[in-house]
Amino acid sequence: MADVAASGMPSREFNPWPATILVSLLCLAVLFLAPTAGVLLSSIKTTREIAFGQLWEMPDKLFLGNFAEILNNPAVHRYFLNTFLVTVPATAASIALGLLGGYVFSKLPFRGSDILFLIIVSGMFFPPQVILIPLFRLFNAVGLIDTLWPIIFVHTALGIPICTLLMRNFFSAVPNALREAAILEGANEWQVLARVALPLSLPAVAVLATLQFTWIWNDFLWPLILTNSDNKRTIMVGIVNLKGQYSVAWGVQGALSLIASLPTLIVFLFFQRYFIKGMTMGAVKG
Amino acid sequence: MAKLKLEKVTKNFGKVEVIKGVDLVAEHGEFVVFVGPSGCGKSTMLRLITGLESVTSGQILIDGQDLTHAKPSDRGVAMVFQSYALFPHLNVADNIGFGLRLAKLPKADIERRVAEVARILRVEELLDRKPRQLSGGQRQRVAIGRSIIRDPKVFLFDEPLSNLDAALRVIMRLEIARLHSRLGATMIYVTHDQTEAMTLANRIVVFNAGMIEQVGSPMQLYDRPANKFVAGFIGSPAMNFLTAMQDQPDGVGSLSVSGGTVAIGRSVNTPPSERITLGVRPEHVAIVSSEAADLIAKVEIVEELGAESLVYFQAAGSNQQVTMRTSSGVQPKPGDQVSLRFDRERIHLFGSDGRSLAK
Repeated sequence: MADVAASGMPSREFNPWPATILVSLLCLAVLFLAPTAGVLLSSIKTTREIAFGQLWEMPDKLFLGNFAEILNNPAVHRYFLNTFLVTVPATAASIALGLLGGYVFSKLPFRGSDILFLIIVSGMFFPPQVILIPLFRLFNAVGLIDTLWPIIFVHTALGIPICTLLMRNFFSAVPNALREAAILEGANEWQVLARVALPLSLPAVAVLATLQFTWIWNDFLWPLILTNSDNKRTIMVGIVNLKGQYSVAWGVQGALSLIASLPTLIVFLFFQRYFIKGMTMGAVKG
Repeated sequence: MAKLKLEKVTKNFGKVEVIKGVDLVAEHGEFVVFVGPSGCGKSTMLRLITGLESVTSGQILIDGQDLTHAKPSDRGVAMVFQSYALFPHLNVADNIGFGLRLAKLPKADIERRVAEVARILRVEELLDRKPRQLSGGQRQRVAIGRSIIRDPKVFLFDEPLSNLDAALRVIMRLEIARLHSRLGATMIYVTHDQTEAMTLANRIVVFNAGMIEQVGSPMQLYDRPANKFVAGFIGSPAMNFLTAMQDQPDGVGSLSVSGGTVAIGRSVNTPPSERITLGVRPEHVAIVSSEAADLIAKVEIVEELGAESLVYFQAAGSNQQVTMRTSSGVQPKPGDQVSLRFDRERIHLFGSDGRSLAK
């Protein structure tokens, strides 16, 4: 019986591709995770352990002194507060403006609106370095340097193209008949937007909220350029500021890096359900 | 109930004139059906009445009040969309009560009226469901519910049954007819389905290329079409058309068609040289003995539909098609050569420009 079974089985050739792909993906995963693991390991080690070059070894015992140090540091509190004061309004403002622009471009087109839309979207492709000096000079001239306002303005403006693009595409997927039905029921455009189009586009808003919050929270360049004083710095610039005078405080910086990434993680987890839905919406019919 | 009057209404999209001076009156409580081929302007006309599209020239009056430039919500019209246009994020109760909530009516009032409409349309047990949890027929009822709750003067239906399967379409057609007799409201209904038009309408308006070809009761249009377009559009299967020439110069007597001669026994008020069209409905064609024949034709296909059969012929010596509707048990077989005769009282004649030549 066994012979029959054995002889009946077609000989299967070894296919190297699945194994190759698996190994490649594992290598990539290690490459991506290694820095995070390094930061995590350094955050739970003493400066002495790190100084002795034991960065990639598991610590003998868990050291939480770095976390205690940054959590008790008033400067860190200030960095967090500043980052919230920049990220929340800039995220909200860029999404709100993108929402309005997207609705107009999608549902209320006018002569030349397609060209205007292209001009706005092309803003995504300007490297920030190009506008860095003009903007610095502009904000300096109006006396806003070393305040949080220019960072809010810049991030709002830089967010408008992507927000407008995404919202316009989402609103285009909302059937016109729904808008017309609402208008016949007595709704004005604001009510159509608020009561029909927006509730149907919440996945897009969730995607934008996650992306904008993450980008603005993690931004290093603009706060570095537009602020000078330590009490106006945001968290990413603050991490750099925490380095010691004569040596780099890897442990403290690692701990702050981990804590600094928590808000974006929380925002992502909060919107995750919508985020996945938003990213895949329109991919399949129905 | 309301009287809807359209006066010389035109609509241009850029340089294209899609509605070309439409005049029409829909009386109080009348059920008027707009029919016509795709792109003829019937849906555009409906949108002009709602105010979703602006009129280029002309007037729209409801109960004598000029509402040509009024906001859609101020016209006292409600529309049921082809796609139902139910708000997917709202449940049935909120969909039906959407307009009342916008009007900021007291909550108790809204609930009472939603319950009343739900009872009329038999969707009471569905009030908490979202549109995606409803069948096609239920969605249609909810869409109708949303339109009747505001007690509009004129109801507009834009091909409301076209997304339903054949069986459900028949049921919903009856429901709309019942609703009309119950509410007694003025209704304008757009469809390309002739059965819907014939069964629902008090009057049918046939549109073609942005103009009205004919307005009349279903049987008027069926029996006395004003022109070849209406004759061909109303009725299913369509009327048979045969190109004909007058045999005698005085225009009296007979017409020669491909495959035979038809003695019509009356004068034709056209120049003898004019090429005319003979029209006869499939139920007015019969198989006869060869002596009484108008036309010799070969049977191509026989479709048995149960209560009746449709027989498709090809006229001898030409490629002209003739369709016959018969309920008799005796049926020819494909390939048979048969003699056909047309009911003299039911023959229609059309001039070269398509106009009906009076009997």
